[in-house]
Amino acid sequence: MRLLLVEDNVPLADELVQGLQRQGYAIDWLADGRDAAFQAACEPYDLIILDLGLPGRPGLDVLREWRDAGLRFPVLILTARASWAERIEGLRAGADDYLAKPFHPEELFLRVQGLLRRARGLDSRAPIEVAGLRLDESRQTVWRDNEEIGLTGAEFRLLRYFMLHSNQLLSKSRLGEHLYEGDGEPDSNVLEVHVNHLRRKLGRQVIETRRGQGYCFVGLSA
Amino acid sequence: MRSIQRRLGVGLLFILLLVGVVMVNASIWLVDLGLRRYLQNGLRDEAELLLIATVRGPAGIQLDELRLSPAYQRPLSGSYFRVDLPDQVWRSRSSWDFQLERPTRSGLQHGLVDGPGGQELLVYRADFRRFGSDLSITAAQDYRPLSLAFTQVRWLLSGIGALALLVVLLLQWLNVRAALHPLERVRLQVLQLQQGRRGRLDSEADRELAPLVEQINSLLQHTEGSLRRSRNAVGNLGHALKTPLAVLRSLLTRAELDALQPLRRQMDDQLDVVEQRLARELNRARLSGEVLPGAHFECDQELPTLCDTLRMIHPHLCQLSCLAPPGLRLPWDREDLLEVLGNLLDNACKWALTQVSLSIEQDGQELLLRIEDDGPGVAEQLRSSLLARGSRLDEQVPGHGLGLAIVRDTLDAWGGTLQLGNAALGGLRVDVRLPLPN
Repeated sequence: MRLLLVEDNVPLADELVQGLQRQGYAIDWLADGRDAAFQAACEPYDLIILDLGLPGRPGLDVLREWRDAGLRFPVLILTARASWAERIEGLRAGADDYLAKPFHPEELFLRVQGLLRRARGLDSRAPIEVAGLRLDESRQTVWRDNEEIGLTGAEFRLLRYFMLHSNQLLSKSRLGEHLYEGDGEPDSNVLEVHVNHLRRKLGRQVIETRRGQGYCFVGLSA
Repeated sequence: MRSIQRRLGVGLLFILLLVGVVMVNASIWLVDLGLRRYLQNGLRDEAELLLIATVRGPAGIQLDELRLSPAYQRPLSGSYFRVDLPDQVWRSRSSWDFQLERPTRSGLQHGLVDGPGGQELLVYRADFRRFGSDLSITAAQDYRPLSLAFTQVRWLLSGIGALALLVVLLLQWLNVRAALHPLERVRLQVLQLQQGRRGRLDSEADRELAPLVEQINSLLQHTEGSLRRSRNAVGNLGHALKTPLAVLRSLLTRAELDALQPLRRQMDDQLDVVEQRLARELNRARLSGEVLPGAHFECDQELPTLCDTLRMIHPHLCQLSCLAPPGLRLPWDREDLLEVLGNLLDNACKWALTQVSLSIEQDGQELLLRIEDDGPGVAEQLRSSLLARGSRLDEQVPGHGLGLAIVRDTLDAWGGTLQLGNAALGGLRVDVRLPLPN
């Protein structure tokens, strides 16, 4: 999952970037509204965390521009202005959730999780469960029946993306784009290694390889 | 209370009285003067006729009775004469037993001389020389009928004057009322200003009032400006502090602090205090700053968007209903009321299983906002502690227990009350009663 954080306060952005990375997200950070308006339109972000009081351009303006351009990625607004009137205005401008500063980082992580699940049409409050596998996002492990299987950070990221896009054909380049921030896209061998690790832990059949096209996560039931 | 109307009326009354009295007396005096001049000519003619009637008879100088006007024969007729010869005095028969004194100087006498039977005589003396001796002829005429007429005229004029005075006062009253009408309009506007039904006075006032209206308007603007500035200052400070607070919160979750749990918890608590304080003061600053209401709360317009927002935040709710009479407009600031409803509804949504309902109804001079949910509710003995400031019962559901405190502050500012009860849906019922401003 690749996120864009648009926040002009450097200490807060530092903290959030680190925190979100620990949560297994690939995260890009921008501080200027104009940059954000541009970059979100060209990179395939899964979610954007948007501060409203931005230098360059107001966050709400940027958000409206995205929505007018038909960009549907979920947007979580982060702002010090917490009144309901402003919250309503933000949500009407096209935001999907609204978090008022100051907040507990856990709350932000929960909201991000929820939004990502919701964007895939899942219950935002229930853990991700696909074809006999249940992902525990707080512990970064996966449950098969009653057995907890530990995952490395990279495996967790990959599995989460697969489980949120089950039964879909995912090309290697798409996986690369969504799992790694910025230009840090690894060569396809690294991905292959992680896929193989997952297969070894969960069973060969969970991820099918479509030659020349990419992978498809089908889970245990298939 | 002092009244401009009354002061103007009393002033005008005195002026008109003074002018009226002076006018009446002066005109009567002038007429009297003219009349006396005219009568003086008559008396002189009489004196000359008497002179002509003085003839030399067998017994020396005597008066030819036949030439005299009959008025001199009839007793107390009002016309008298007296002719002073060096050795004798003739008096008209009409004077009867009245002694007409010879005036000390010739010509018309100033003032009137008391005559017989209450008469007042106008006396004229002329000196001649005839048949070699000096004659002093004094003719007198009763002036009393004219004096009486003057008195009558005076009364009549006073009566007419008084009547005119009343009419003038009435007209003046109407006039002043019409003239003060713009002032009354300004007064009504100031009243509306107080009730918050307008932001400033109409600048199209009459010329005399324009400076006042301008002053009030610029004062309003000034007050509004400084209020907004101080409110913004509080707001900016508050909002500026929120980001560093968020950073601190985030720093507290660092793995380095895992070994220092008590410290982390204490700092977390202190941050909670700062945060709550900040949110409430920000809310309070906004509340106290709202002298001139911006927009009122239009139910038809605001409730659907509020509900949409809540549905977005709480997608698990199947049913969120907002009921209000169509076209209801709540006379409180839109943002503040949104804050109250948003916080209460958000709270209900957090606890509800599937259903939350809001109903707004007007009950006499009160407005009842009722929020119900089908959640677990709150046990009766816990309700009072829930209402205690800043506390929270929901340690699991995210939130800072702040919403209710902010709602309470706002309701206190509006003189409203908040009550908790059992909802028909099964969960908690929150009743907010707001007295409608007059």
